[in-house]
Amino acid sequence: MDSVEYLDLLLKALLLAGVYAAMAVGMTVIYGVMKIVNLAHAGFLMLGAYFALEMFQRFHVDPILGSIIALPVFFLFGMAVHWLLVRWLPKSDTPTLASLLLMFGFWLVLQNIAYLVWGNEDQSILTPLTLSSVQFGQISIPKVNLVVFAAAVFCMVVLQIVFHRSWFGRSMRALIQNPYAAQIVGVDDQKTARLTFGLGTAFAGFAGGLLGMLFSFSPDFGRPFLLRSFVIIVLGGLESVSGVALGAVLLAILETFGINVPLPVYWHGWSFHYLPPSYQQVIPFALLVVVLLILPKGLSSLFSRKWKAA
Amino acid sequence: MNGTLAFIGQNIRRASILALGLGAGLTLCTGSRAVAADDTIKIGVVLPTTGSESKPGQYQKEGIELAIKQINDAGGISVKGKKLKIEEVFYDDGTDSKKSASLTERAMSSDGVVAVLGGYSTALGTAESVMADRYKTPWITTGAGATAIFGKGYQYAFGSLSPVALIGTTSAEFLGSLMDQGKLKKGLKVAMVVENTDHGTDYVQGFTEWSNKHAGYFQIVLNEKFELGATDFSGILQKVKNSHADIFLSDAHLPDYITMHRQYLQNGLHHQMVSYGARGPEANARQALGAGTDYIFAGIWWSNKLPYPQAKKFATDYKAFTGHDVDSWYAAPAYDGMRIVAQAIEAAGSLDKNAIRDALKKAQLKESVLPGQVLKFAANGQAEYPFVITQNKPDNKVDIVYPKDAATGEPVAPAPAK
Repeated sequence: MDSVEYLDLLLKALLLAGVYAAMAVGMTVIYGVMKIVNLAHAGFLMLGAYFALEMFQRFHVDPILGSIIALPVFFLFGMAVHWLLVRWLPKSDTPTLASLLLMFGFWLVLQNIAYLVWGNEDQSILTPLTLSSVQFGQISIPKVNLVVFAAAVFCMVVLQIVFHRSWFGRSMRALIQNPYAAQIVGVDDQKTARLTFGLGTAFAGFAGGLLGMLFSFSPDFGRPFLLRSFVIIVLGGLESVSGVALGAVLLAILETFGINVPLPVYWHGWSFHYLPPSYQQVIPFALLVVVLLILPKGLSSLFSRKWKAA
Repeated sequence: MNGTLAFIGQNIRRASILALGLGAGLTLCTGSRAVAADDTIKIGVVLPTTGSESKPGQYQKEGIELAIKQINDAGGISVKGKKLKIEEVFYDDGTDSKKSASLTERAMSSDGVVAVLGGYSTALGTAESVMADRYKTPWITTGAGATAIFGKGYQYAFGSLSPVALIGTTSAEFLGSLMDQGKLKKGLKVAMVVENTDHGTDYVQGFTEWSNKHAGYFQIVLNEKFELGATDFSGILQKVKNSHADIFLSDAHLPDYITMHRQYLQNGLHHQMVSYGARGPEANARQALGAGTDYIFAGIWWSNKLPYPQAKKFATDYKAFTGHDVDSWYAAPAYDGMRIVAQAIEAAGSLDKNAIRDALKKAQLKESVLPGQVLKFAANGQAEYPFVITQNKPDNKVDIVYPKDAATGEPVAPAPAK
């Protein structure tokens, strides 16, 4: 491989990181504040994709604009889900079995509603942007991936601003750091949790709309993303938004380079071998095990700056 | 204390009476089901109508149900001088191989079916296949074409799909014929990227065997596998790009075909010829990728372009039955799979599973809608009939381009760059 091919790989990895970050960020904020592993996240991603599709087919709204419209819609939807279901869960500093079962069950309900409404066909959103790419010499960059990357960066920046410049963000950070102390000093934990769940759901809906431009989708959409999202937030540190970006970049680079760059292997002498692409799925899970053993608080704990909660 | 014990004892007695009553009720219900079973023949159908393979599964279900309707409308199956109607017992496995196996087991062991059809795709069919000999019940897969299933000496397993390896062989023959005609140059570099299932392995085996026997036609420069149902193919497509191949051959299921080809196009890739094995002309893919699917060729088990009158009639009946066109191959092997089971039951003259199995081994379905017009099973239980090669053309058109005697249009080779 020459330098252009390495650069091509690096760009592909960064764009893939954008996809991963977009899908994981909503799950992270919910975990950070509420200690809920939101298994229904995949269902929210799926609904976001169908929302963008409906907006596109019925009202001829561009899927990017449709995804932006999904933000307030899914924010309200998330708050409603919290009010109806999540607020009844027992409070805990760690994820509880009850929360896992509730969110898993809710995901199945969302899936089956989607089967009833849209059927089981694979759906796709085809716009002039979908298949077009930008050419830089020998390197071709898909425009949709650039949009998703920009959207992921946008989400991160918005979250950073919310965390540092708003009352809501300060409440979230307080609850992440010490929920009991936060309540003693007057933070309304229920209100903050409701808004956080709404925010996480809004980001999931937004990401779902954008992912619908990259992949075909059915009511089962989101399952593989859920596993990767989980790996990314563990990598990044379960409560760190900046860590999500770091985790997404690391995972994407390892996945992309792992199957394209020969690795040294010792077997009756040194030789170089590619990791077969069918073993690409091994990378995130191997990484998960290693990080949980060596850095249980995630990659961000390596840095002296307090990145927790942004 | 004594009062409490008496209360518990009383409740145990009540529970026992209730359980006995429930048991008697269930026995009566089973008895009435057995009476109903005298008038019908129960056929189990295990297919995915939810999950990632729901679309092909739905098409196969429709094919089977059309055959059942036609058989029942004609009076049913004649067994010992009595016409019996077919009763379908349907199970949705949700594209889950464990569920697929357990539902097949349930159908064979407790739901009183005389045969089970289903098993789309190879992964699900492989899981189901072990049940056939265990419960000595004929099992006919209508959607699993991997030879490995039929290489285990099973006596009750049959398949209405020709071996997947033949797709690879026929694809190689087709490309070789284009080289012989001068449309493509000999010695082109081929990149092969297939799913990591028996389906993918068989495809590569079929192609490489032909290539090895016919030196000078192809130079295979990449042979890789990918995870079934993967979400990102950018890494493996980068390998394809770096291989500088002239021909890109994949073997993928429908969702992977759509996702991979979308990323193929987004990455600006182009090859002289492109194929995704048995996938290519599906309406969903063409709707999802538009003109991006033009000129893809596929080796398929059936095409609505086949010139046989029975194939045309099947397409018309299917549309009248389902309300939509038969736009892919999935329904036809399922339709004929059901028809050959019905023929075998009639030939067996009984609902004995061993007799049906023996009749299936000898069965020959004349006027089959499949290529070659005859469906029969080889000694290993797998059907063997020729494939047709189709090529997508602009404006959602599809032509059979190989073999020549079934061709409805000329192959376009090399595929024009966009």
